[in-house]
Parts: sequence; structure tokens; C-alpha cells
Amino acid sequence: MDISRIRALRGPNLWTRHTAIEAMVLCQGQECDLSTAPDFEQRLRHLFPGLGQLRTTQQGAVLSMAHAIEDATLHMQIAAGCPVTFSRTTLTPEAGMYQVVVEYTEEDVGRLALELAQALCQAAWDNTTYDMDAALAQLSALDEDIRLGPSTNSIVEAALVRGIPYRRLTEGSMVQFGWGSKQRRIQAAETDSSSAIAEAIAQDKDLTKKLLHAAGVPVPQGRPVLDANDAWVASQAIGTPVVVKPRDGNQGKGVTVNISTREEIEAAFHNAAKFRDEVMVERFLPGSDYRLLVVGDKLVAAARREPPLVIGDGQHTVSQLVERVNADPRRGEGHSTSLTKIRFDDVALARLKEQGLNAQSVPAKGLRVILRNNANLSTGGTATDVTDDVHPEVAARAIAAAQMVGLDVCGVDIVCESVLRPLEAQCGGVVEVNAAPGLRMHLQPSYGKGRDVGKAIMSMLYAPGDDGRIPVIAVTGTNGKTTTVRLTAHLLRTHGLRVGMTNTDGVYVQARQIDSGDCSGPRSARNVLMHPHVDAAVLETARGGMLREGLAFDRCSVAVVTNIGMGDHLGLNYITTVEDLAVLKRMIVQNVATSGMAVLNAADPMVAAMASSCPGQVTFFALDPHQPTLTTHRAQGKRVLFVEDDQLVAAEGKFEIRIPLSHIPLTRSGAIGFQIENAMASVAAAWASAIPWATIARGLSTFVSDAMAVPGRFNVFDYKGATLIADYGHNPDAIKALVQAVTNLPANRRSVVISGAGDRRDEDIRQQTRIIGEAFDDVVLFQDACQRGRADGEVLALLRQGLDGARRTSHIEEIRGEFTAIDAAIDRLTPGDLCLILIDQIEEALAHITRRVQENRSALSAH
Amino acid sequence: MPFPDIQILSTRHLRGPNVWTYRAAVEVWVDIGALEDHPSNTLPGFNQRLQAWLPGMIEHRCSVGVRGGFFQRLLDGTWAAHIMEHVAIELQTMAGLEVGFGKARETHQRGIYKVVVRARQYDVAHASLLAARDLVMAAINDTPFDVAVTVNRLKAMADRLCLGPSTASIVDAAAQQGIPSIRLTEGNLVQLGHGSRQRRIWTAETDRTSAVAESISRDKDLTKRLLAQCGVPIPEGRIVESPEQAWEVAQDMGLPVVIKPSDGNHGRGVALDLNSQAEIEAAWRVADAEGSQVMVERFVRGEEHRLLVVGDQVVAAARGELACITGDGISSVAQLIEQQLNTDPRRGEEEHFPLDTIRLDEQPHAVLELQRQGLAANSIPALGRRVIVQRNGNMSNDVTDLVHPEVAELATLAARVIGLDIAGIDLVAQDISRPLHEQGAAVVEVNAGPSLLMHLKPASGQARPVGHAIANHLFPLKDNGRIPIVGIVGHRHTAALAQLVAWLLHLSGNRVGMACSLGVFMDQRHVDTQDARGHDMGERLLINRSIDAAVFETSPREILLEGLPYDRCHVGLVADMPALDGLQDLDVITADNMRQVVRTQVDVVLREGVAVLNADVSAVAELEDLCDGEVMMYGLNPDSAILGAHRRQGRRSVFCRQGHVTLARGDQETTLLHIDLAPVARLLKHEDMSVSHLLAAVACAWSLGVTPTLMRAGLKNFRQKTESESQEKARMKA
Repeated sequence: MDISRIRALRGPNLWTRHTAIEAMVLCQGQECDLSTAPDFEQRLRHLFPGLGQLRTTQQGAVLSMAHAIEDATLHMQIAAGCPVTFSRTTLTPEAGMYQVVVEYTEEDVGRLALELAQALCQAAWDNTTYDMDAALAQLSALDEDIRLGPSTNSIVEAALVRGIPYRRLTEGSMVQFGWGSKQRRIQAAETDSSSAIAEAIAQDKDLTKKLLHAAGVPVPQGRPVLDANDAWVASQAIGTPVVVKPRDGNQGKGVTVNISTREEIEAAFHNAAKFRDEVMVERFLPGSDYRLLVVGDKLVAAARREPPLVIGDGQHTVSQLVERVNADPRRGEGHSTSLTKIRFDDVALARLKEQGLNAQSVPAKGLRVILRNNANLSTGGTATDVTDDVHPEVAARAIAAAQMVGLDVCGVDIVCESVLRPLEAQCGGVVEVNAAPGLRMHLQPSYGKGRDVGKAIMSMLYAPGDDGRIPVIAVTGTNGKTTTVRLTAHLLRTHGLRVGMTNTDGVYVQARQIDSGDCSGPRSARNVLMHPHVDAAVLETARGGMLREGLAFDRCSVAVVTNIGMGDHLGLNYITTVEDLAVLKRMIVQNVATSGMAVLNAADPMVAAMASSCPGQVTFFALDPHQPTLTTHRAQGKRVLFVEDDQLVAAEGKFEIRIPLSHIPLTRSGAIGFQIENAMASVAAAWASAIPWATIARGLSTFVSDAMAVPGRFNVFDYKGATLIADYGHNPDAIKALVQAVTNLPANRRSVVISGAGDRRDEDIRQQTRIIGEAFDDVVLFQDACQRGRADGEVLALLRQGLDGARRTSHIEEIRGEFTAIDAAIDRLTPGDLCLILIDQIEEALAHITRRVQENRSALSAH
Repeated sequence: MPFPDIQILSTRHLRGPNVWTYRAAVEVWVDIGALEDHPSNTLPGFNQRLQAWLPGMIEHRCSVGVRGGFFQRLLDGTWAAHIMEHVAIELQTMAGLEVGFGKARETHQRGIYKVVVRARQYDVAHASLLAARDLVMAAINDTPFDVAVTVNRLKAMADRLCLGPSTASIVDAAAQQGIPSIRLTEGNLVQLGHGSRQRRIWTAETDRTSAVAESISRDKDLTKRLLAQCGVPIPEGRIVESPEQAWEVAQDMGLPVVIKPSDGNHGRGVALDLNSQAEIEAAWRVADAEGSQVMVERFVRGEEHRLLVVGDQVVAAARGELACITGDGISSVAQLIEQQLNTDPRRGEEEHFPLDTIRLDEQPHAVLELQRQGLAANSIPALGRRVIVQRNGNMSNDVTDLVHPEVAELATLAARVIGLDIAGIDLVAQDISRPLHEQGAAVVEVNAGPSLLMHLKPASGQARPVGHAIANHLFPLKDNGRIPIVGIVGHRHTAALAQLVAWLLHLSGNRVGMACSLGVFMDQRHVDTQDARGHDMGERLLINRSIDAAVFETSPREILLEGLPYDRCHVGLVADMPALDGLQDLDVITADNMRQVVRTQVDVVLREGVAVLNADVSAVAELEDLCDGEVMMYGLNPDSAILGAHRRQGRRSVFCRQGHVTLARGDQETTLLHIDLAPVARLLKHEDMSVSHLLAAVACAWSLGVTPTLMRAGLKNFRQKTESESQEKARMKA
């Protein structure tokens, strides 16, 4: 077998809403029918018992090697702990070529799984060995490495529950939520409003203490002391019992706790002075360590933390006791379980030594042997949820501490006997505040109830009801996409929104073009959704990107499908029929939000049929008020747009609004049918986005479709009293619509300049001139710069064939070069004529035409 | 026989407004001993020596009021303590801390003086006073004194202890807007404003500077990716696998290009400004030899610029100077740097120099830059060869006015994309006055906490008030960050008075902090029981972010020892003249001495504030002329001479008429309640609460806009509630 192309579908796609790996798998001979190789499946199962049931989803399909790879890729990910379920294999029209699609949660894990699955299947086929354990270990190590850590993941999960979109910015814990101007960012349990200064303060223990003290939060008061006598003086001022310790010491060296007498304190000073010049005397806080998690102005969780310890039984050695504790199946290695194995290392041994023990000592029954000073879960400590026990006064101090330091997400470490009583009543106090606190101890405490702290953080980032989304309007179809996108964007902009727009000419944010070229793919769309100045996005969504990567958004608020017609670019990427194309373009309709709207052309049966795939509401539009789909929809009281008495009518139930076509310059007072359709689609999209009608009407009246605003879309010029129309139309439907529009415009003689693109089917090229022949007197055929694999003159011949027996055409010219062709047509014009120029190189051709027009104008004024 | 040293008897750090000045000062008491009998004009050669050592004192006008005034006083004869004051001022000024204020005053004891100088930084000011004493003694006794050494020592102290120039520029700008500041650490962390209205800065970072944004700005790749997504031009790069691909990509990207190892944070294997296929393919091989992948990056031609974005505006821009040396065929790179660059008078080690001294061992960037040109510190460049030493070391030429609006817009966008409220955007461009895309310019880095120095002290061009821009960003719309502050001074039971004022403010919805002799109260919670009238305890309230209003009880002793804990207040209440007894040690002997102390409370009232004065004590009422703001009087008798006159002027007053507590503005009167009302009568039975106190508290509350309805309710409720609460607590404890 051979895998020829691998794609990561990073958004909803033709196959699934999930992210997925798509691979082209070529099978040969027996590989195409596994029933001819009966031992293969058995060998495969022997190597990988976790394999699922091999199955086909297409009726009458035969199980192939591709199916085996599909299933192995899926189940290897499952075995590595990834929550994936979707996979599918489809036979293409090419013999032995399959499209295998398998869901992933992490792209790199999905890619590796496919690679490993291929090797596995090959091994089974060749009847050789395969180290399955190593493969799975490699896969889960990669997954563990790149998937989100527990703290970050809890916040992302909370976003998913609320439908807030997210995107990872790094392989680490930096994640962006929301779109455009509603974006927020986190890095683990730090948000974009966590102040850098506050974090610096939290790291400065003395300053933190000073500030907390100022806020009336009890802290262990203390000061540096000069000598043993000063230590005693200080403890008298602070109040005993005290802790004497080296300043900035670590690992508890030289620390003496809970002492009150003069002798003890002086001895402790001398002990501490061995380790550091500066010695601190601090109030001793009796009790246990607690961690209180403050989010915004609320206490959301609290845990009592204990360092890793074992309890003596008078029989076993310390190391045996540790082994027994670690045998607890709840104790794992990483972050995935609620407990982690106790690390029995040098630090633990040193801690034992302080207690007069070693690894081989047998502690007395009931003796608590502490193995580390800190209570981190990752080194074997435990956390017990005490959230419901926290006294309101204790909570108030924790919140005051967080706010004083200025942290929006803050872990407040408290030492006290019990959180059930106010700190002041028990000599408790806050010993530290932590920025970016770990959340695992609250999500999965060793004992007690887990707390949904991710949810609390998410509700601080986004107020209830806010899903972080901006309106996203996706536009697709065979023709009219670009004009619809531009007009829709114009209507939203008229409402004062900052609009991000993608189309085949570039990416625009407000008035600025931030990228150029064909930007109708998901990468450009994602860039718009990332841009902090975007309040609404209007995205031209072309087929190429949908196939290549899937959609850039999980769902949109409005999906507009202008038409499918006879289609375009058929034959590429296994999209061979108009029906296939409709299935592909339907994707944006399928991914409309339940509160969203699909705007569909009722007159195009393929498009109208998409209504049933839409999870939200549907607006139909059609020129003809009597179009049956439209009238039915209207009768049901739903939204429709149509044309009546030279007015664009929008109706929903009893509501009706009319805008005269004469107020919509784009339509040339209603003369250009396809522009009316584009206008209706745009108005429907604006209506669905709750833009007020007065604004919509104003926007329609101010939208100009000239070569500046919408280059290559029905740009009209005057030349010596004749009318020049430049358009980028390049498929039968577009040409049909143009012909229809041109027919509505008065003209003495009609001429056209046309070429054909080499990558279209022969029939499609002939079809273009066949339509032309019915409506134009003069036809100038030209061969464009790029022949896309065709021989010289081949396309011209096809175009000519289409003109055979044309009813209207009386004059045909064949010219090489676009500008020469344009010049030839222009030179023949007399006042009252009309010339349609189907341009190919949009910018260059428009520049050329503009230049010709200006030369003529200045020649006139010179006279 | 030389004169013995002037004795320094005591030293105090007056940290807030005091009897001398509004600002922080150092006060020393000195005993000049026998010099009391020897004014300056009687000491042979003294004046000449002093003037020769400190010629700058010609600028001291002193009481004469003209240039050279102090020298005139020396000629006429003045005493050692006064001279010491002037010398201390001069030494501080020479050390770079310009101060203007100083005073020397006799005490009631012969030969003992109080000498005060303003302290921009306490330790420096204190050291200046000690040095001044030594200098004066040396001049008197005609012994040597090295002025330069002393000044350098003080200068070094100032550099170490004062705020850095970036932070100082913001704090100074804030002060000009009337925004108070409190330095929170010995470093550059400063609080602007008070209580809940405060903001914090740390150099050019604010409390809204996001930590996540800072991490993004430190991740160069992520920064570039985010900027590119939003259409901000960056030097785009691509990994290439072969020399042929490198050439292909280079053509695609547009020449010239840079080729470097993808993990290339060291200079090895980096080649700049490549134009030909041969160069590029050769450079690929060199980079590939470094082991990591090879990256082709667009080479951005031009000079580095730094744009400072504050909020949504570019407030300053500087163009970097390429630091270059030219080879002479003899000297090494290191020597050429010394000869051609470090001799520039703008270069120096300390922070106030606009350009750094270049030391190759401390500047790895310069070493890299040289490596790229195939040179090391000891290489000897050929005669006439131009060598770039630093591309981006210092940005020093102000180009703010040249920045093209579109460039400014993109810089602002870059800061926004990264998420920084204040950012330094580094961009490479040939001409900052043209749009970036026209010249292939690019943003190369976004910096959090940018230095402001290059904009404050550009090597050329106009300095920019970037401190003001940041202060305005933190406090827009003329906000001065102040919370209402009530200061109270009086004779007896002023703590009870403070409690009542705090209670009334608390009822009107404020979280009130109070510091008094009974301790510290926060939002009615008694958090500390030690006497809190000192500066430190008082400052706690102003630091607290959850305090909306603060009430301070002050005593004359605290004013004399430390000064007030706040710079200005909205309400200054003088309830009575404190008794004189017990302040002899602080040289307060006469009624006039006491007046000088108490007036401080009225001096610090803001222009928009109110002095509340007891009309029944004429010495108190007489302070009214000292107040910058409004004066409100209160008294038991509405028709007393003082209160009557005050009322006739149409001004506000509070009094008790036939038992009715009454608010009056001119002859417009509002009756609050009768003092015989049961709860009020109960209140007045306590020995610490008098009718006069009641009137004072009402006047304070009125000054801060507490409504009569609320005052009525509050007076009836005061202490009744706290009593029931303490009963409650007692029950809980039981």
C-alpha cells in the first residue's frame, strides 16, 4: 500500500465536525479485498488486540487495507488515551484509491498514529513482528507532552461547555478564547488581565506581607534581627511562639519553629546564623497548610494540603512503608490521577535525617514520618477539599489578599488550625500568595469533592451569556460570492461595526487590506477571527480550503449560498458532479449555529435543498415572488426576499419592508438581475445580523461596485459614448447571468472579449461561447497568458466550436494577448455600443482599461 | 585652637507635610557650641574658603531675595547652622537632586538650632547634612576638604537609592497633575493615587500590563506569528532543506535575505544582506554546518526605530544610531571602540547618559554583530574598513514628528495584538515617514516595560513628555486618583470624633479606613489596636486598595516627629487647640509655637477641600486665612461673634440652636435633629462625645456630601449598632 497525501482537517469538514487526518491510500491487488487474504486480519489482531471491528460504511463496499489502516489509526489513539471516535474510509473513482479519514484531538498525535498504523498493517501483511507496546508508549508520550495540562484543560473544558471558541497559541499552555474584538487569552491559570506587576509583588514576600498587613489581612509579623538578644526583643514585640530562620533560606535548613522561651530563641538564632548572615524572627502560625483559590472577587475552592508522609506501624521500614503507599492504584506517575507516587529521593532522605530516621528505620506505630517539606501533589502530597468549610471571614481575608496584590486568579496559602473559624480567632495568617496557581488539587483532590474551578475562571473572562463570538457570515456559491461579501461587509460597516472580510482579492480589516491574493481559504479566515479590531467577520468560503483544511470556524452565525448552478472547477479533488459540489458547499449551512441563519437562493434547487441541513433558521431569496419554495416559506411566516414592482421586498410573517431598486445603485435600477440577487443575499445576511433596516437601506444606497470597490465585478466605464463592462466571469453560470444583465441594457451593437481557462472541461469551455453566440454581434477571442496544460491554440479552438451556428454573432476575431484583444474590441466601438470584457488578469486588465478610458477623456478635453 | 564640631543632637525624617514644608524633609537639631559667638564675618578666611569650594551658592538668594543673597548674608555675618543648611542644599543639588527648600531656626535654648532641608531621598539628604557639617567645620578651622569626592559619593547614593529616570518621569508628571504617589519598595514600584483609586507602576509597566502579554512578547516566534496574522509586516522566514531551495525561497520572498540556523540566537552561521545565488547557497552550507535547520529570512534594510505606544497612541519615536568604527590597519576592534565610540561625551556608564559605553564583555549583541562580519575584539580591521559594532544599542534621535500615520497605526495595532497597554515597538525602516509596505519595512520586536530614557533624553531632537503620556493613560480626564481624606486634630477625645466621622462616611456607601489613637479600623473592622497616629500606620490606609475614604486622627507630636501621613486632604478639622504641656522636648513652648504646628492641618486642605474650624475657640477660628479651600465653621452658639460674621458672609456653618443641630449656608438653614432625642442623648452621655464633637462630625460629613437624611440616621445609630454587634460577638464566643 502507499499513502500519497496526508491532510489535517483542522475544522468542520466534508466528513465530520471533528478535527481529522485525511490520507489518500492506494491499495493494490489483494490489498483491495481483504477477504482474499484471510490470515491478515488475524495477524493484525495478534499484533494489536485493541483493534476494533473492521467495517465499511459504504453499502456494498469491500474491506480493504485502507479500512485496516483507518481502524488501526483510530484505535491506537484510543489506546493512547485520546478521546476520539470517528473514522471513515471511502473509495474514490480512481481504482484502488481510498480516502481514509480519522478523527484526532492533537494533530501531531493523529499524524503519528497514522504513521504507526501503516507500519503495523505492513508488518501484519508481511507477517513480520511489530513492537506494539513501544508504538503505543511513543504515542501516549507524545500526547502527554503536547496535550493541555490539567489546569489549562479545565478552563478550556469550561469554554467548550459554554460554546466559547478556543485556539491554542503555543504547544504550551497559552490559549486564546473568543474571536476578534472579544478575544481573551490565558496561560495556564493566568489570564490576560493578570497583572505583571501583581505577579512581581507576589514573588516578593516582604512586600506582599507589607501590603497584606496594610489591607488588614493577618500575616506572620516579623523582622530581621541583629543578634540573639535582638531575636528575643523581636519575639517579645511580635508575640510568641515564633519561628527563627535564615532569611531567604531554602529547604528548611536552620529553621526552628514554635519556640517561646528566651533560651530556645537564642539557641535558634545561633543555629540559623550558621546558614545566613541575616536571620528573621517571625510569628509562628500553628496549624495546617491550606490553599484558597480566589477568582475575581470570589473564593471558589479551598484545600487542606499535606506533605507526603507515611505512618509507622512498628514493623516496616520507611522504604517499605513508602512502597506500600505507592502501591495504591490511585497514585500515578504524571498529572492524570488525583494522587502521585511519593518520590523517595535525596530530598526525602534528607527530611528523614532531620527526624533522626533513615530508609531502613522502623518508625513506631502511629508515628507520622514526613518525607518532604512542601505539599505539592506532584511529589506525592495530598489535598483534601475543604471548600464548604471556609468561614466567610476567612474567605474575605483571602479575597482581600488577592485584591490587594492585584491578582485576578490567586492561590492564597494560609496556615491555621481550622478554616471553620476566623483567622484572627486562632492566630492564623496568610503566608503566601501565588500567581498562576495550580488547579489540579481543586479539580481532582486526593480526598473530597472536585471543584469546577475552570468554570469560575471562564465566568470571569466572559460574563454569563457571552460566548466570546462575533457575528461570522460565511458566503459560498458558484457566482456572486465576492460582491455579496463586499456588500454584506459594507452594510455591517454602515452600522458602525469594525468588519473583517476575506475574499478572493485579499483580507481586509476595516478599510485596510492586510493580505492580498486569493484569501478565501481557512487560514485567512482564521487570521480575521484572530484580529483584535474585528467586531464582525464576513468570509468568502471557497471549496479549495474546505477540502484542504475544513472550515476555520466551528460554527457561523449566517451562511449564505448564492447558487450552485452548473458548477465550476468540476473534476478537481474527486468533486466530479454538481451534486458532489453541493454536498461540499452545504458544509457551511450544516455548521450554522442553532441560533443562526442560512440564506439560500430558492431559485437554485441544489441550494434550496440545503435548507433541510440547517440547524438554525432559513431565509430564502429569489427574484420571482411566485417561486414555489419561496412562497411556501413565506406562507409559513418565515423570512423571504424577492422582487416586486421594482422593489426589493423583505418579508417575515406580517412584517414587510420594501426598498426601491432605484435606491440600489449596484443593480443599475434593477437592470442587472444577478446584482439584485447579490443584494438580496447581502440584505438577508445583514437582517440576520440584526442590522436596523434604515442602516441597511442607507448601506445599499451608498455601495458602489466600481473597479475600486469590487474590482472585476461588473465594472462599468464610458468610452466615446459606448459602454464598457469589465467582469471576471469565467464559468457558464456567470456568463449566463452577465448575458442576461447585458441584454437588459440598451445598445446598438454588442461586442464581447472572452478567453477560456485551460483547466476547465472541454464542454464547459464550449458552453461559454455557446451562450455568448446568442447575445453578441462581435466576439473577440483571446488566448490568455497561462494555458494551464493546454496546447497552444487548443482553448481558442474550443471557444470557436461553441460559436458554430451562433444566432447573433456576425464577427469573430482571434487574438493572442489580453491587452491586444481589449484594444481590438475598443477600437471598433462607436457611440451607443456596448462591450463586455471578460477579463482574466483582473488588476492588470482593469488598469489597462482605465488607462484607455482616461486617455480618451483627456484627448476630449484637450480639444 | 580649632572650634569643636557642631554636635548633631537628633535627627528626624519628616515624611509628610510638616511645620516647615508640604514635602518630605530631614530635620536635625544641632548644637553649634562656641560658634554661637562667632558669626561668619568674624571667622578669618572662612567666607573665602566656603565660596571657593562651593561657588554655585552664588545662586542661593536666601532671605535677601536676589542672586548672591546668601553670600551677602555671609558677609554681614550669619551663624553656622544656617550655613550648614545652605551647604546641604548645595551638595544635594550638585549630586543631581535639585532641592530648593531649607530652614534654620533657633530653639529656645541658646546655641541649639533646628536645621531642615527638603529630602527628595532621605538617605541622601541626611548624608548631605552630615557632609555639610564637616565641610563647614573644615572651612571654619581651615582644614582640607575634598568637595568632589563628597559630591561623587552623594551622587552614587542618589543613583542607587532614587527612582530610576523612567519611573521618576512618570511620578513627576503625575505630581504635576496633582496625583499623589507612594513608593512601595526601594526599587521602582510606585503607587499613584490613594486607596481604591490607586494605580501601580513599575518602571514603564502598569498594573494593567498583562503578564500573559509579557510572556508573548518574550516569545519572538509567537510574537511574529500573531503580528503577521493581523497584517503587521514582519521579516518572514522559512525553513529550507537545501541550497537550491534556499535560493528558490529567497527569490520568492524577495532579495536580499538573511540565512541563519533556525535556533540561531548565537551569531554563528548567520549571514546578512545576501543577494546572489552563489552567496545564498554558500551561506546555506555555513548555516547548515551549525547543526539545526536552516532558515531563510527576509532582510529588512534600514535603521532600527523604537516607537513608544501608550494606550492607543504612539507618543514618541526614536531612531537608532548605528555605532560604527573605521579600521586604521593598526588598532584592534576593542581599541577602535575606545578611540572612536567611547570618547563620545554622550556615552557613559550611568543611567542618565543617553548612550551606553560599549564594553564588549558586557554586550553580547555587539560581539555577535562583529562575528557576523568575521571579527572579534582583538581583530585588526584593514585601513578604511567600516565595521558595524551596534545596530540596536541605543535609540537616540527623536523622530516623533516624522512618523507616518499608517506606521503609527500599525505600531499601535502591534501593541494591541500582543496585549500590552504600554509597549516599545522596534521596527526596521529606511524612512519612518513613509508607509512600511512601500519600503519593505518590518516590526522586529515588541517590548514590555520599555525604557523611556531615549525619549526623555534623546541624543538629538526634542525630548518627549512620555511620563505625562503614561500618567494621562493611567488617570484620564484629569482624575487625580485621590480618595476623600479627613484629617482631625484637637485637644481631647478626637478618636471618638474620628470614629463618628468614619461612621457617617461608611453609611454613605464608602469603605472607610481610619487611623487613630485606638488603632486601625477598616470598613468598621478593628484590625489593629496600637496607637495608629504615626506615619506608617496612617500610610497603611492609603496603600489599601479597598479603601474608598480615609479618616486620620493626628496629634501635634506626630506632626512634629514625622509629618502627616498624607500630602493633602479634602477635609481638615481643627476641633480645638491642643494643650501645650508635654511638648517641651520638641521645643513647643508658646501658644504661637502650637499654632505653627496645628496650622499644618489647615495648610494641607486641597483647593477643592474644606477646613472645618471650631468657631468657639478663637485661636482655631483664626486659622481660616491659611486655607486654600473653603472654610466651614461650627459652634454651640449661632450668634457668637465669629460664627455670626462667618454666616453673614454667606458661608457654610453648623451650630446648635435651642438644641437643634442645624446646617446653614448663609441664612438657608436645615435642621438635622434635636440633641435630646433619646439615642443622641444616650450618645452624649459618654464622656468622649460632646455636642461640639457632634457638630464637628456633622460638618465633616456635610463637607463630603453626606445627605442630611443619612446624617440623621447615622447619629441615631452610632454606637448603638456597634454595641449590639459586640454583644453578638460575645454570644458567639460563648
